[in-house]
Amino acid sequence: MSSFDLDGRRIPIEPGDTLAAAAFRSGVRTFTRSIKSHRRRGLYCLTGDCANCLVTVDGVPGERACVTPAHDGMRIRRETGWPSVERDVLSVTDHLHWAMPVGFYYKVFARPRWLWPLAERVIRRATGTGRLPVRGAPAGRARARSARCDVLVIGGGVAGLAAAATAAAARSRVIVVDEGEPGHALPPGGARTIAASLEAEARAAGAEMLTHHTAIGIYEGASVPLVGPDGLVEVEAGRVIVATGALEAHGVFPGNDLPGIWLSRGAVRLATEHGIAPCARAIVLDDGTGDGAAEALRGVGVDVIEVRGTIVSANGGRRLTGVTVDTPEGRRSFACDGLVLSLGLSPRDTLVRMAADDPVTVAGDAATPGCSIEDAVEDGRRAGRGEPVVAREPDPWPGLGSGGFVCPCEDVGVDELEAAWREGWTNSEIVKRYTTATMGPCQGALCSRHLAAFAAAKGAPSAAGGRTTARPPVRAPRLADLVGGVHEVIDRRTALHGRHVAAGARMDRSGVWLRPGTYGDVAAEIRAVRERVGIMDVSTLGRFEVRGPDARALLDEVLTLDVGRVAPGRTRYLLALDEAGYVMDDGLLAALEDGGYLLTTTSGGADRMETWLRDRVDRRGYRAHVLPRTGELGAINVAGPHARELLGALSDDDLSRDAIPYPGHATITVAGVPCRAVSVGFVGELSFELHHPRSRSGDLWDALLEAGRAWDVLPHGLDALDVLRLEKGHIFLGQDTLPDDHPGKLGLGWAVAMDKPAFVGRASLERMVALPLERRLVGLRFDGSPQRGAPLAVDGRIVGRVTSCTVSAALEEGIGLGWIRAVDGAFPPVLASGDLRATVGPTPFYDPEGVRLRA
Amino acid sequence: MPELRRTDLRVVTCLASADALDRLVAPGHGARALRLAPDESAFVTAPETAPEVRREVADRVAALEDDAVVRDVGDGWAAWRLTGADARDALAWVSALPPPPPGAWIQGDVARVGAKVLGEDDGLTILVPAYWDDHLRTRLIADAGAIEVTP
Amino acid sequence: MSLLVPCPTCGERSYTEFTFGGELRPLDAPDPEAEFARVYLRGNVAGVQTERWFHALGCRRWTTVRRDTVANRIEGGV
Repeated sequence: MSSFDLDGRRIPIEPGDTLAAAAFRSGVRTFTRSIKSHRRRGLYCLTGDCANCLVTVDGVPGERACVTPAHDGMRIRRETGWPSVERDVLSVTDHLHWAMPVGFYYKVFARPRWLWPLAERVIRRATGTGRLPVRGAPAGRARARSARCDVLVIGGGVAGLAAAATAAAARSRVIVVDEGEPGHALPPGGARTIAASLEAEARAAGAEMLTHHTAIGIYEGASVPLVGPDGLVEVEAGRVIVATGALEAHGVFPGNDLPGIWLSRGAVRLATEHGIAPCARAIVLDDGTGDGAAEALRGVGVDVIEVRGTIVSANGGRRLTGVTVDTPEGRRSFACDGLVLSLGLSPRDTLVRMAADDPVTVAGDAATPGCSIEDAVEDGRRAGRGEPVVAREPDPWPGLGSGGFVCPCEDVGVDELEAAWREGWTNSEIVKRYTTATMGPCQGALCSRHLAAFAAAKGAPSAAGGRTTARPPVRAPRLADLVGGVHEVIDRRTALHGRHVAAGARMDRSGVWLRPGTYGDVAAEIRAVRERVGIMDVSTLGRFEVRGPDARALLDEVLTLDVGRVAPGRTRYLLALDEAGYVMDDGLLAALEDGGYLLTTTSGGADRMETWLRDRVDRRGYRAHVLPRTGELGAINVAGPHARELLGALSDDDLSRDAIPYPGHATITVAGVPCRAVSVGFVGELSFELHHPRSRSGDLWDALLEAGRAWDVLPHGLDALDVLRLEKGHIFLGQDTLPDDHPGKLGLGWAVAMDKPAFVGRASLERMVALPLERRLVGLRFDGSPQRGAPLAVDGRIVGRVTSCTVSAALEEGIGLGWIRAVDGAFPPVLASGDLRATVGPTPFYDPEGVRLRA
Repeated sequence: MPELRRTDLRVVTCLASADALDRLVAPGHGARALRLAPDESAFVTAPETAPEVRREVADRVAALEDDAVVRDVGDGWAAWRLTGADARDALAWVSALPPPPPGAWIQGDVARVGAKVLGEDDGLTILVPAYWDDHLRTRLIADAGAIEVTP
Repeated sequence: MSLLVPCPTCGERSYTEFTFGGELRPLDAPDPEAEFARVYLRGNVAGVQTERWFHALGCRRWTTVRRDTVANRIEGGV
């Protein structure tokens, strides 16, 4: 016999059972405790509209027991109440109701302020709406797919299917979405037969049915996310038809939340679909629509008394024991353990109350609750044709009793709405926010009309017919479903990625790229570059070719250097500033032999440089072409005293300073691979940065490693690069710089051609350099092993920070870069960094004359 | 289930004024012409025909204006063929773009990177910048359920 | 979930394909005061503003549109 576990108790399952039905059959009457007063809540709607039966199923909280099919082996937990839902110590708060008027959180805990964090923790635990399974949470990222259609029909009932059939027949692309199977919410009989034939008509016309998917909101577009078993479906729809039907109207009167009170459809469903008697003796309160509730209940052995009139109150403690009704014959009291309410229908229109001006049409019961099947089909056909659908009768708002819970989700009573109104919150949207009525899991499905009726009765001016807005999601989706399709990390890889991994490199995320941090021995990699020769994959550098009659004008505008002074075959260090004069990126500008330019940027700055260049081309109308080459060209840096010899072993070209000046470039062929060799000085040794076609990267790398064995070549990664460049005092943008660093603060004033009449940031920079410098990036020498990020202090006052540092093997001391503030107008020459002494000194630290890199 | 395999394609890019590109007659050799931007056209072609295509484009655009740039930038792109009856449905798992019918093309967000999608008789060709090659392959396999056929 | 930005080359696309470039502002200014305003001050209107969007995942070109910042809806291209 199949069964599931409910709080440690074994509940047998009969075929067709939902969790609620099986539990109820086994005698479970309390499913949750209300949020504030911890009152018992039992089954009420049985259509998935209220929040009374939310339970945790196999670790997933917030599942509606009344619409979740029961399966063997499930583990169900009722999460509210402490220590348990049956014996809830916190139910004492129900008796303290008088001490907790509406808004009491704001009033009671305003002072003393220090008490609030403590109070908040306690209050949060006291509401107990479920525990998130943080450990052992269901793992995995859901998938998300996109779908487009002309018409999205939400709700596969009679109206929805008619709309779909009509729209599809008119050659619109139609998707119908339903939480279950089309027509499943209809009572067996005539309605289902009509639905089945409409479904066949819709399918034949080409409409797509998405069953077991829930539309959780309508966003601008119209864009409707659907949560389904396979993941998220993001639908972009030309227009949306909401045909979600109607639910039983919620009754508000004193005692209206007692277990044992049923909405008519709920009681009927329990009786007819599950064969379970909701109670022994039921009062069926009928408003005249007569939906067969009495008959259905008698069919399962319930003693039914049909009553007409207005409920005065429902009575009982942990469950219903009796009701008092004002009947045409006068006030009567009845003993009973069941009260079945048939007070009319409310449109199930939560989705509609979210949409702003999007093209949404409402059809069927969702527009006119209780309309006939023929009318629903007619509505659907009209909506399918794109015609407006007008509600046949005005939506009759319910009356409010003298007491009772208006909003069961949030435990808001009529008296609290009255109190809020008296305090001056005289508008339905404001009352909603102050009392939290309609802000619970059902988002006003039960009570938004009651709130509107309350405001209208008070004579308040009402926007949107007094109906308050609902917020997505309509149903609680899992976070994994919502992030489906969102990829947090997208890595770029160079062509040599596989070789790095095969060589045992530790691959690091450097900006948007994956790059080798080290191949295992950072000190050995550094030594190879300083003493012999090393190679590094620098394919991540941004590269752009700029050509055309206005190429020079474009580059002069965007860069601080004087482009005209860079002769063909030469390179120059470049800076790009933003409009405020702060350093945005650095790199090299190479003037090509044929009049074009090659611009290199930092790996992380390439995208931004492209947008920057394209913006200026667009705004100024420059006749210049920007050709991004970052993806197309690999780049390998060959650096060290033997760099030229290594290249010489693989190339017949002239590699002397005559052919490849410093700083400059030339085209050469290395191991049969055409390269542009750029002489660079970043690591402080003789270096050739070889830019080549990406498809040849592997050949070139392999050839360099093979021929390089003669000099014991090693590949090096970012860790070694960090030390090598630091020994030369070169900055890493973003690591050694702050967002408001202009070139003067970085000692890079020499890279700015202030005599150029115009470039981006010039005016701001001119203004700033006229002011005394109040912060500088400086070189530091330490009498010990420094720490990156450590503060720099003078007389106990922090005036700076270490941005990069290392213990340099080549120099046999601790060195670093850091920014410091001026103290009394001067920059301190010596500072304290923790226990160490830091002395400000000139950079480069290593080979200050730059002899080695000019070899 | 759709099939996924790498394919070798070259891309000849032509940067010129909008006017020149409007008037430029597309080259032959089965090259697909894509007008990517007002000032940029790309011609996607098989490797064997790439040099011819580049020459033809360069000659034709030179007759229209002086400083156009024509390059084979194929190294900068990775190309994948997604084929089979469900190829277009498979794209929906990684992109909101309407899958192009044979002969048409579209550029936009595929698996959160900028891609060009070309409609073919038997499915789609997807081009992404070479450094996102691995990302696209991984996403398609994880989300679209495509079977990879090693080339 | 979907603010559609009209790209003149690619058509209307979700804003997620774009990089936002902020309010359109002049590239030059006639005097220091105007220059200060140009660099540091923004209109930040509650209403329709002219702004720049870069179609990063598409054609990689800039476009200028007018967007109602209150309704968060693009009124049209400029």
